[in-house]
Amino acid sequence: MPSVARRFPWLWVAASAGFLFLYLPLVIVVVYSFNDSRLNAEWVGFTLDWYRKLAEDAEMLSAAGNSLIIGIVTSVVSTILGTMAGLAMYRHPSRLLSVLVLTPIAIPEILMGVSLLIFFVLLNFTLGLISVTLAHIAFCIGFVAIVVRSRLAGMDESLTEAARDCGATPAQAFRHVTLPLIMPGVIAGALMAFTLSIDDFVITFFTAGAGTSTLPLQIYSMIKISVTPEVNAISTLLMLLTLALIVIASRLAPGILESSQETTP
Amino acid sequence: MKKLLSVLLLAGLPFAASAADQLHLYNWNNYIAPETVKRFEDFCKCEVVQTYYSDNEELLAKLAAGAKGYDILVPTSNALQTLISQGALKPIDKSQLPNLKNIAPAYLNTPFDPGNKYSVPYAMSITLIGYNDEKIKELGVPVDSWATIFDPKILQKIRKKVTVLDSANEVFAAALKYLGYSANDVDEGHWKEAADVIKKAKPYWAAFNASSYIKELTVGNIWLVHGYSNDIFQANADAQAAGRKFHILHSLPKEGAVLALDNMVIHKDAPRPDLALKFMNFMLEGKNSAELTNLIGSGNPNMDAMQYIKPEIAKNKAIFPDKAELSRLEQLKDLNVKQRRLRSRLWTEIKAAR
Repeated sequence: MPSVARRFPWLWVAASAGFLFLYLPLVIVVVYSFNDSRLNAEWVGFTLDWYRKLAEDAEMLSAAGNSLIIGIVTSVVSTILGTMAGLAMYRHPSRLLSVLVLTPIAIPEILMGVSLLIFFVLLNFTLGLISVTLAHIAFCIGFVAIVVRSRLAGMDESLTEAARDCGATPAQAFRHVTLPLIMPGVIAGALMAFTLSIDDFVITFFTAGAGTSTLPLQIYSMIKISVTPEVNAISTLLMLLTLALIVIASRLAPGILESSQETTP
Repeated sequence: MKKLLSVLLLAGLPFAASAADQLHLYNWNNYIAPETVKRFEDFCKCEVVQTYYSDNEELLAKLAAGAKGYDILVPTSNALQTLISQGALKPIDKSQLPNLKNIAPAYLNTPFDPGNKYSVPYAMSITLIGYNDEKIKELGVPVDSWATIFDPKILQKIRKKVTVLDSANEVFAAALKYLGYSANDVDEGHWKEAADVIKKAKPYWAAFNASSYIKELTVGNIWLVHGYSNDIFQANADAQAAGRKFHILHSLPKEGAVLALDNMVIHKDAPRPDLALKFMNFMLEGKNSAELTNLIGSGNPNMDAMQYIKPEIAKNKAIFPDKAELSRLEQLKDLNVKQRRLRSRLWTEIKAAR
């Protein structure tokens, strides 16, 4: 790598600029969470007050807790269903199936939010965590399916066939050959579903019931009275959590986040 | 996975099961003092669960699609009128509201809800001028009239240090008032006159800003704004907390201004209308109502509240206008489809003008 950087200094510059652009805003959020001023405008002094305030803010914490629960359940369920959908689309290419799975991605969010709300109301379904989770799963499946299908497209189908020739049942062939090969795609899909779920506003707004709030809903309702550094504090904690998850994931299964194990010959 | 699902079910169940002792309040964020909520919970032996919206349109959209589970809503008068016409509200039993006598008569029996069949006043704000006292005094800019934000001769001195709300209705209302018309004037010619006034003033404004002007005022980037009285109160509180040398003051223009009155109403599908009525009566008590004013500097229609309000807020004429000033304040009425189309066309022209 270093030799590449030395040979193409502009590449180095471009890469740093890219990372700076991605991470500088996050750094600023973290820094200002320790700022001793209600305004996110200038540095006054170091304080942990906003974290103390956050610890006492039951509403904000419950909103963050809701977001996490919804995000985790959504990512698990939509990854399972989305992987199945991706496999089905790959093995049995049919236009109808693709349209059915992918439409929720293309539909404007506001339309989906309103129609889901009307649907829940028609069923007399109590709006709450469950309705939000169901709605999130509905729009995440398509994203997972796309990622998994493209991973499958890059896979050598003869490997599965070889396993079958050697006597593996379809289930065994999937469990021991296909799944490990598409794992990076599945993980990517799961992370994507988690991210989409945790920051969704529009669909959540419509499907959340009385008393259920998520972090985006909570923060948005605060905008009118200007956002305090308490929001920075909770964002910092969430970032730490995400970071921890990524570190744990890469410890548990090294290489899972890299697509180094390409199967293309 | 199973564990997660059971956690989810456990978290979801209380909604279905324990509607027994919860009051669901669908409110603006930071629009009730925490100590008031606590006292009400002790009083009614119930839990107050709040959900927030940041715009009347959000509230209307959500309810129109059929969302339920809310007991009390706090719409502004024009949204109240829409909710009434949609049949979304439950008439209130006034025999349960002995404290309604505390509300000043000027705020009762308005055209938005004649006879207060569905609503009781909660709190209010006025759209007026907020300014940095140090800068404005130094430059000798008069702030007692809407001319400050519309007259190029005055604007010259504070060029690009002024923002106005990013709201067609509010800016038009101010311009109409400046021209001597009613804020609710619907004459097309008058609207065009107002649009001309706005277009001439626009080059001197720094921005249309409805979300971050509190901060801009506090930091000192902007010296004068067209904004809501609560926000200007907040900007001053922030400026003092941050140790600024200047103050952010209110000025209620002599031509009059827009008054936004928020009202408590009960949703037609309220799970606990009994608790809702208890809550209404509780909030009509002077002390409870005053706590909100002390927290955010909102106007208060409650006569009994005055004795509990901090003197520095009570003597602020822009928050508590006297009778003569009150008579020049107007609540905005909803526009019909044709008027709304014309207004948004004019607004687009204004925004696009150079």
